[in-house]
Amino acid sequence: MQRFLFLSTIVYTLLLAGLITLRGELIALAIPLVIYLLFAFWNAPEALNIEIERKISNDRSAPGADVVITLTIKNLGGNIDEFLLEDKIASHLTVRFGSPRHLLRLPKGSTHTVAYTIAGPRGTYNFDSVHIEASDPLGLINIKQIISATGQLLVFPDVRKLKFVTIRPRRTRVYAGSIPARAGGAGTEFFGVREYQAGDSPRSINWHASARHAETLYSNEFQQERVADVGIVLDARERANIFHGANSIFEHSVAAAAALSDAFISQGNRVGMLIYGSYLSWTLPEYGKVQRERMMQSLARAVVGESSVFSGLEHLSARMFPPETQIVLVSSLVNDDLRVMIQLRARGYQVMVVSPDPVKFEVGFLSPSSDVELASRVIRMERDLLIRKLERAGIQVIEWDVSRPFDQAVGPALMRPHVSTSRRM
Amino acid sequence: MTLIALVLSIILSTGSLAWGYAEVGLMFVTRWSLIFGALWLFAVWQNWKWFASVGLFASMLAAAFGLWAGFTPGWMIASGIFSLFAWDMTDFRRRQKFIAADDDSRGMERRHIARVSMLIAAGLFLATIATLLQVRFTFEWGVFLVAVAVLGLMQLFVWFQKK
Repeated sequence: MQRFLFLSTIVYTLLLAGLITLRGELIALAIPLVIYLLFAFWNAPEALNIEIERKISNDRSAPGADVVITLTIKNLGGNIDEFLLEDKIASHLTVRFGSPRHLLRLPKGSTHTVAYTIAGPRGTYNFDSVHIEASDPLGLINIKQIISATGQLLVFPDVRKLKFVTIRPRRTRVYAGSIPARAGGAGTEFFGVREYQAGDSPRSINWHASARHAETLYSNEFQQERVADVGIVLDARERANIFHGANSIFEHSVAAAAALSDAFISQGNRVGMLIYGSYLSWTLPEYGKVQRERMMQSLARAVVGESSVFSGLEHLSARMFPPETQIVLVSSLVNDDLRVMIQLRARGYQVMVVSPDPVKFEVGFLSPSSDVELASRVIRMERDLLIRKLERAGIQVIEWDVSRPFDQAVGPALMRPHVSTSRRM
Repeated sequence: MTLIALVLSIILSTGSLAWGYAEVGLMFVTRWSLIFGALWLFAVWQNWKWFASVGLFASMLAAAFGLWAGFTPGWMIASGIFSLFAWDMTDFRRRQKFIAADDDSRGMERRHIARVSMLIAAGLFLATIATLLQVRFTFEWGVFLVAVAVLGLMQLFVWFQKK
């Protein structure tokens, strides 16, 4: 409308000047502008009656993977000579092919389809509306409108496949699985020797032990293998996550949590996930692929946040996880966490900490100097001390040098049973 | 195509103005017109879209002054008309940025230039007739024009209020 006003002002000024000075030439000068204005006025768009439908080629995607957004526009109103359509997309998304902005001509009753390809990092992206602007052929009179065309794109974190994760929770569930249940029965891992019972397979007879006793036969007993409850806690507190520009150690924590949850679910366990940030985002423990999908959705939405209430880990309530289950904390750790970890351990939980190494992460972005080296050594010592205290409390700590992929750096250590020394990968 | 039309219209607008003023010996205005034209072309190169409005306003002002002072009306009206054309082309170039690769860019461009050219030609034709006929102001004609101006201003005021 501003252009229309500007031109109108010139026209009326010329007309008034012509009247005041009684000079017809000034009015003649205004004639082309009047014709131009009248043409725009006669061809101004009527009230818009537009329907827009959105289709997303793949509403669950991987980071950097192409997703095609298709918008179908139906003009149920009159002719629109210039129709500007702009689909507002989140700033993190990049347009790979095509454009979310189009200038079209929409005749009455016509349908037009536009498509563009986007890609983005992990996250949840909501598409709410499309901004449209219809104008006359000269672009003088515009009608703007926002049309609802909703959609959601979930970009899941990249999941690195882990072969196996060895955990030893004190309590297992009744279903058969892969975790030694500390009880004799059918299994693969040696558990002990007992007297032969009718029905025992001859292959299970321990001939060495039986040879020492004239009257009795002994059988090998194997450890039952069952599924267990696993609670994954992802630390999303701002104070525990280092940012360097657009890079954050949190993305590595998310990748670790994704790989671990996938591995635990694949092993048949009942897995829950808690994202501990500015609020607690809790995915209740369940089994199977549906639970995997729920956890991936939760990880896609995970963001770093700060809250005075959840600045420490003391709100990790014992009621959140079934007693004596396995808790896996994915965190780069801060010193205050020690007390809470020890408390969890004291309550009977098996605790494993997978810790992306924040020192190496940050030093990787700094130019080498004596000051940087000194500071990193001091922080390294503090961190080593914290890890040693955790291990002394019976907590398994696995450090991850994030410059290497999670499965390669940490996978072998996760396969081995817990020993009390820290492993730095 | 739009860029060529834009550059040509700026040259024709400022050139007509310079010629009209040169005819009556006002060489300093001629020089300033040419400098202004060069500046306008520089603004096109620099993508200063706001400059088109300044150009239209300045050209119209200079043309109106020339007509009031009794200089050759043809050059003055031509200057005003081509500045309007340049102003339109500048905005169309802005809108063209929204045209995606798979849109009918060529067709839209061709239609727009043809449409504006016809409008401008019609305006030029009517303005020439009006000038040739040397319309004399009668009382009734004056009242009619005042009524049209007042109605238009009221319309503008209403739109402005709505905005």
